[in-house]
Order: sequence, then structure tokens, then C-alpha cells
Amino acid sequence: MRIDKEKCTGCELCHPYCPVGAIATVEWEGNSVSEIDQGECVECGTCFKRSGICPVDAIYMPKLEWPRSLREHFSNPNAEHPSTTTQGRGTEEMKSNDVTGRYSPGIAGVAVEMGRPGVGTSLRDAETVAMALAKVGVEFEEDNPVSILMADPKTGKFKEEVLGEKVLSLILEFKIENDRLERVLTRIREVSTQIDTVFSLDLINRVNPDGTIPVMAIAEKAGFSPRPNTKTNVGLGKPRFREV
Amino acid sequence: MTHSLHRRGSVEDLHEDYVLLFYSSKGINREGSEEKMKQFWHVLSHYEQDLVNFGNHHPNRSGGEPYNMEDLKKAKSQMNMAVFKDVEKLKACLQEIKERDFGISVVVSGLYGETKRICSEIGLAPHTVNLSLGIHGKKGKLPEENVLEIHTMCGHGVVPFNLILHMVQEIKAGKISCKEAAKKLSRLCDCGLFNTYRAEKILRKMTANK
Repeated sequence: MRIDKEKCTGCELCHPYCPVGAIATVEWEGNSVSEIDQGECVECGTCFKRSGICPVDAIYMPKLEWPRSLREHFSNPNAEHPSTTTQGRGTEEMKSNDVTGRYSPGIAGVAVEMGRPGVGTSLRDAETVAMALAKVGVEFEEDNPVSILMADPKTGKFKEEVLGEKVLSLILEFKIENDRLERVLTRIREVSTQIDTVFSLDLINRVNPDGTIPVMAIAEKAGFSPRPNTKTNVGLGKPRFREV
Repeated sequence: MTHSLHRRGSVEDLHEDYVLLFYSSKGINREGSEEKMKQFWHVLSHYEQDLVNFGNHHPNRSGGEPYNMEDLKKAKSQMNMAVFKDVEKLKACLQEIKERDFGISVVVSGLYGETKRICSEIGLAPHTVNLSLGIHGKKGKLPEENVLEIHTMCGHGVVPFNLILHMVQEIKAGKISCKEAAKKLSRLCDCGLFNTYRAEKILRKMTANK
């Protein structure tokens, strides 16, 4: 995002609308005007069309070229990812698991939501986490748009040209057998001290017929405390996926 | 997307925050689902007065007001969402959706114990669950918990921490009411997942000792 300094009146109304605090007042040709720090801006569009906050339409989005364009693809919920041709930063995950069977009994889904909540993440931090996970044998979800950022999904190494970019969030997503989960969760805990941002952590699992969740005890053993609120697929989708 | 999973708050607060998601799956039941996605809104219209917010995956730019239900009944969509503050109303709605037998996947975000209970009472069984294992990493970058509670109502993260704090200042200065501030924050959430009712209550708590 950019601000046309000729139009800007320096009212500062847009400043609190930036999720990553990238807008500040600067002196320009004897006037106080607002400017967006291009290193910090994640191109989410919140200061622009989403809020419509600028009274003089001084905020605009220039045409973004690769790799900067990835900032918008991962930060603006309405942007379509070129790699998946859908909105969103992940897969259908468990939302449709009753019909897709993506997660079978005995298989856990894990998503590391880098930069969330509200802090944003550099691609370098995302690479740090991805490489740590690859070392314990994680295979990343191919249909997740993060896959186009990776030079080598086997090592979690990202492409060199994207490492200087920053996004509001991206999701490192993978499946793992329940019996390998504890080691992976322990590695996630360890790598969390090596990054300059936050992440929210998701753990997906099939529910037992009695309503209990097999991975709950594994998560607790690895030192995590699952929150009381979940996302629950209640099994109304058809045709129902049948395990062979 | 996991944009309704990481909502923060105490168990007591989360009793007023449930998201219902109606989701067609690409390559399986999305094709030909257009009419079912519209029919969902016909069912939801029976509960319109009980809904806090609702929408689909197309942006809502109506200044913090919920979508127009009549427009949604005609809209093409692959994902519909609604926010309830009363789990019993959600149960009644879920039962009606079950009886209509749309065959579209339904996800409930909210307290698992309550979700399990209402499922059992209407003859459903949870199929798959997504657990939130919390926030990790450099947590010193996060604001106070009240701000996080409001911010995480938009899982896409486009309700900025700074704007929530700005609204608190505006309320304290008497420039805006808690209700208006909640609406202004809600405007940024394109999906209609923001719980304006809860946000207003949290803002009231944050500004109680002005």
C-alpha cells in the first residue's frame, strides 16, 4: 500500500487501521503527511478498501510484482492465491473431513499459523520453523499455498528471493501419525524460542465414538494445554467418506 | 482457513460465542450445491433475531451492519457462516439443518463440551475436531488479553490491535459508544464472523473505570 503525499492531509485517521503499525507521520515539503513503511507493510488492504478510512482517497495499491505480491496473497483474506486459485491460506483441512477423509483415524493434522494473532511474520521466521519440522520428518501439505514458497519441501528451505518478505500470516500444514505426534509437538515447542514472532497452533484429529479425542493426551504430555473451544465437524456432509 | 478456531476468552465468555459454518467441498459436493447454499439462508432466516452476525466468503462492506439476509438467499457461495450467542438456538438451527439433509459439511466452532452435548441431544456425533493449542513464540509482542479477545474474533487478523486500543480511547473520551465501536471493528471482518455482542461487552469492561 502507498499514500499519495500530494493528496494526504496528515489527518492520521488511517494510522490505527494498520494491523502491523506500518503507518507514521513524516515531514514532506513543509507538511506533515502519512507514510507507509514498505518494509513492514503486508499489503493486507485494511487501510484501503476494507476500511475506506481515508477521507481524500490518498491510499492506493500499486501493481505488485513477485515476490512482493505474495504479501497480498497471504495477508488479504480476499486475495486469491495464484497457486491454489482460491482464497485462504490453507486447505479445506477438517471443515469437510466427513466427505474428503483427509484425516483418517490414527492420523493427526497439524497447522502452525505463523504470525497469528495479529503480529505478522517474516518469511525467514517461517523458514526457521519449517526447517525444524522437516528435520523430524514432517512432509508439508502440497495443496497449501506455502508450497510455492519452498525451494525444497524435504528440508523446509524457502526460495532465497522470498526470505525478505513479510506477511500477516501463513500456515505450515502437515499430517502425522498419532504415534509420531509427541516428538513433532516437542520440536515445535523448542523452535518457538528461536523466532521473532508468534504462532497459533492447531491440532486436528478424528473423534472417538464416545466423543473423546485421541490426541488430547499426547498434546498434554508434550506440554500443551488445548483450549476449551474447538472447531468440530458434526458429520452432516455427503457422500460420507468410507475408510477402506 | 482456521479463522474461527482461536477465539480467546474465559469459558463463561465463550458461552456466548458459537460459529456455524456450512461448507461445500471442492470436487466432491460443491458442484451443484448452489441451491443448497441458498437454502441454508432460508433455514437461518428462522433464527435471524438470534444471530449476532452472519455472512459468506464475499466481503461485506455495509459499515458494520450484518449482511442483508435476502441478498444472501440469492448469492452464490461455497461457504456460509453465522454467529450465535445462545447455544440452544444453535442447537435448534442445527437440528433443522440435519432434518433438511443438505449433505453439505457443517462445522461448529465453540466450547467442545457444549458442542458435544447438543450434537448428542439431536442425534449427531462429532466426526473430526480441530483443537487450539494456544499461542507460542515471542508472546511479549502481544497486547493485553482483552484486546486479544476482540482481535481473535476475526481470525484473518484484520481487526488491528491498535484500532481496538484507539476505540477504547475514543470511548473513554466520550466520542463514541461501546456499541458503535464494536460495529466499527466488525466492519473490517469480511466474513461476518465477528461477534459484535461480545466485543461490546469487552469494550464496556475495558472502559468501565474511565
